[in-house]
Amino acid sequence: MRTDFVVREVVTGLRRNVTMTVAMVLTTAISLALVGTGLLAVRTIDRTEQLYSDRVEVQVALTADISSADADCSQAVCSGLKATLQNSPLVASVRFESQQQAYERYLQLFKGQSLAEVVRPQSLPATLRVKLNNPEAGAQAVREAMIGQVGVRNIIDQRDVVAKLFDFLSGVRNLTFAVAVVQAIAALLLISNTVQVSAFTRRVEVGVMRLVGATRWYTQFPFLIEAVVTGVVGAVIASLGILVGKFLFIDDLLSGIVSNGVIPPIEVGDVLWVSPILLMIGAGVAAVTGYVTLRLYVRL
Amino acid sequence: MIRLERVTKMYKTSTRPALDRVSVDIERGEFVFLIGPSGSGKSTFLRLLLREDVPTRGTITVADLDVAKLPRRRVPRLRQRIGCVFQDFRLLPNKTVGGNVAFALEVIGKPPQTVRKIVPEVLELVGLEGKSERMPHELSGGEQQRVAIARAFANRPMVLLADEPTGNLDPDTSQDIMLLLERINRTGTTVLMATHDHSIVDSMRRRVVELSMGKLVRDDVRGVYGVGR
Repeated sequence: MRTDFVVREVVTGLRRNVTMTVAMVLTTAISLALVGTGLLAVRTIDRTEQLYSDRVEVQVALTADISSADADCSQAVCSGLKATLQNSPLVASVRFESQQQAYERYLQLFKGQSLAEVVRPQSLPATLRVKLNNPEAGAQAVREAMIGQVGVRNIIDQRDVVAKLFDFLSGVRNLTFAVAVVQAIAALLLISNTVQVSAFTRRVEVGVMRLVGATRWYTQFPFLIEAVVTGVVGAVIASLGILVGKFLFIDDLLSGIVSNGVIPPIEVGDVLWVSPILLMIGAGVAAVTGYVTLRLYVRL
Repeated sequence: MIRLERVTKMYKTSTRPALDRVSVDIERGEFVFLIGPSGSGKSTFLRLLLREDVPTRGTITVADLDVAKLPRRRVPRLRQRIGCVFQDFRLLPNKTVGGNVAFALEVIGKPPQTVRKIVPEVLELVGLEGKSERMPHELSGGEQQRVAIARAFANRPMVLLADEPTGNLDPDTSQDIMLLLERINRTGTTVLMATHDHSIVDSMRRRVVELSMGKLVRDDVRGVYGVGR
């Protein structure tokens, strides 16, 4: 196979249908950018899950009378509850947070806000903070063991709070993937169409090639390469788009929750991790589409 | 060089066979006219030789290859041994004269230095030296057909098939093209030319194979087109 021949054919082919080529590149780029965004969402979800699996606790809030009477969990009710929890094999550790400690943490959390001024130590419950070996089974076991016990006001599973965040992130992921699929179908059809148009506009050349005994490779390779070039250019644009999007929008959008440590930031490295995947998807899908089109719709 | 043995070609859309038990044997270096009215099976004959189509029955041998049994991937090998010229020239309008000839060599994988050597040689052979940089539309019909012949001959095929090569040309130009085909024939290339042109066939006095309604009706060693047909 002569490379200069293939390069020349591909360049003429892409130039000849320039509007079609641009449409094809842009559609591919958009769908790949969406796939990339989806992948970044997946990555963020994984990271966030890791982040939380260490931090998430079940909180057993104590009733007001116990909370105010027992400042260090030394009295019978509190220490009994604590012992029960510690004896469970599902529990890793139990820490007592008194009203005063809760109040200090509260002040820290809402520093500078008016909420900090209205709260008094008495209005916050003392809590037993339970870290679990097994978050799934453990939370349920703690709930069953503690609910209705004397001195227990209620049980807060932090996973319930975090679950909302995960729901949101999964929603983002599912939505981007769904749009990406629709967009990808459009991209596939466009690639297929362009290959057909390309083959049609070059039917005289292809006719001559067949006639003088060019092999299948020689006649079809330029069309395949054309499709692959589109896929690759699309992937490059998509990667650049995500990078620009990260700095212009995502960083701003997420800055609040990232600085609070709610979710990990999206780094340039993450985008660099996504780009080669997009490149492979772009080139691979374009090549397969091109090949199938040539096989099914173009008689060369 | 070209051998057909009881070749029959049926098309699905027709009850009458396009070719009906045709047997022809053409030796290496022969010059043969294939004549007959439209619909007599000339085009089918040529298509079968090029493996554009396969016969319903019978065997075809071209340049030592069993055409009907040739696997798809070997078809290019067959076509590299056959040069083709048509009534409508089929040149690439966006390539120069030299580019058109070079293209045919490039796509069968000839290295650039070979292409650079062959193109001027073959253009000189067909009498187009110095016109390598012209575009096809700047040439006369006869010159365009010469480019097509140069392209067909560039790879030194064993067989040259010409389908009405003079169909679009005036008598004088046709005569020039026939002289060129004769010159190519003298290099040892077998030439098979399908034509309607009485005067050419009559003046050349070469072997004439005539088809009518898909049947071989005549095979004269030194024939004429035939009077009153």
